[in-house]
Amino acid sequence: MILRNNMRKYPTLEEITEICKRKLDLEKLSTETIKKDMEHMREPQPSGFDAPISYNKIYKGYEYLDADFVMGGVSLTDSDVDAIKESIDLIRSIGGSRVSEKFNNAMEKILSTILEEFPDGTKKQSYLQTMTPPKSRGFEHFDLFYTACSTKTPISFVHYNYKKRNFNAITIHPFLIKEFENKWYIIGYSEQHKEVRTFGMDRVFAPIQLKKTFIKVEKAIIEQEANDFYGVFPIPNHKKQCIKIRLSDLATNYFEAYPIHESQKIQKEPDGYSIVTFQLVPTIELTRLFLSHGYHVEILEPLWFIEFTENLK
Amino acid sequence: MLKYSNHFGLLNSPKILNKMADKNTSLLFEIPKLDTPKQNPKVLRLLLSKEFTRIDFGYTTPWYYDKGGWIKISPDTFLEIEGFTEKYRLKNADGIPIAPKRTNFKSTEDWQFFSLYFEPIPQKDCILNMIEAEKPTSKDFNYYGIVLKMEEGICFLE
Repeated sequence: MILRNNMRKYPTLEEITEICKRKLDLEKLSTETIKKDMEHMREPQPSGFDAPISYNKIYKGYEYLDADFVMGGVSLTDSDVDAIKESIDLIRSIGGSRVSEKFNNAMEKILSTILEEFPDGTKKQSYLQTMTPPKSRGFEHFDLFYTACSTKTPISFVHYNYKKRNFNAITIHPFLIKEFENKWYIIGYSEQHKEVRTFGMDRVFAPIQLKKTFIKVEKAIIEQEANDFYGVFPIPNHKKQCIKIRLSDLATNYFEAYPIHESQKIQKEPDGYSIVTFQLVPTIELTRLFLSHGYHVEILEPLWFIEFTENLK
Repeated sequence: MLKYSNHFGLLNSPKILNKMADKNTSLLFEIPKLDTPKQNPKVLRLLLSKEFTRIDFGYTTPWYYDKGGWIKISPDTFLEIEGFTEKYRLKNADGIPIAPKRTNFKSTEDWQFFSLYFEPIPQKDCILNMIEAEKPTSKDFNYYGIVLKMEEGICFLE
């Protein structure tokens, strides 16, 4: 921006340094740093930005030889820069264990670049905190499964069933990775089960990419897995359907504030209670959620779901 | 001693089923559920590559050992192809200590996935035995009659 300012053409190195110091609210900034930055900007991509910065000997200042040049094709305004600074807080807070190593490395690069640009960033108090639990077992397979989903590569892995206490070798044709309550799952067609299955990554061992034909699953099934579930484990033999519950006035507040699914519709009654409907594939997690609210949630429909939930009490 | 039959009932069949040319691909075999009363540790997969032969196992601690007992694998464990004398030695173990070290479990509900790496065997149809002890007790991990048919192997990326 400094080099495109027609009101003050050909700024000197000292002037550029002073403007950067002011704009970025920095206490110290040397002309050497600015000089190095400009050299870096001149370098060809991808290491540099191919910036046509030149020193004009007649006017004794710097200029862009191409007046239309913008870095990376994007021109940032002051408000853009502020937005980026604020986003850094968010990225920092969701980083760490909740993203894969590949993503984390990429994020580190961005953060280190930003810190170079805005070195005061680390000194500021963070106003944002999210849940950042420690890394869970099996999460190290995230990158492999992500690649397998995108390249449509079948995977062989060993699975341990907590409930049955047994191990099995599984071949999955994965199409979706899902996170629910900070637990990670891989979903795909299982050759052993001959149907779409969900496996907790914490129970997956030694996944290996196979060179064999990928079995594709109907798009409708993929979309259903992605959109019509609260949680990940469907109750067997039950398709997407209308689920109706009655909420106490207290529970109504929570469901109004935090809808659990896009299909949620609340019909409030005069006493503050409400009737809520969902269009969902019934899942174990949905059952658990309703049970966790105790007498504040009463399941009205369907009948089988009432019985199913009662049996889990 | 654990004795493994195979899903084709071929324990008494010819030692080498057919002589295929050695391949340089890496092959994975899923070992099917076998009709043996005792399958713990359970053989889950077998992988053949130019560098190694790997067998994957799953172990669940039994109720009859206090706190689940312990596991270890003898450094002298080897693979042999039935009908041949050559031994393919244990090179490495992952998830199970090599004796005299051992892993002590903490409960009868514990479990462990582990892999054993051996010298590579030729990629030919064969019946494979894994021997931890030549004169085994009930505590040794000896497996007999693991049938490998190369056409059933799935190529994998290393």
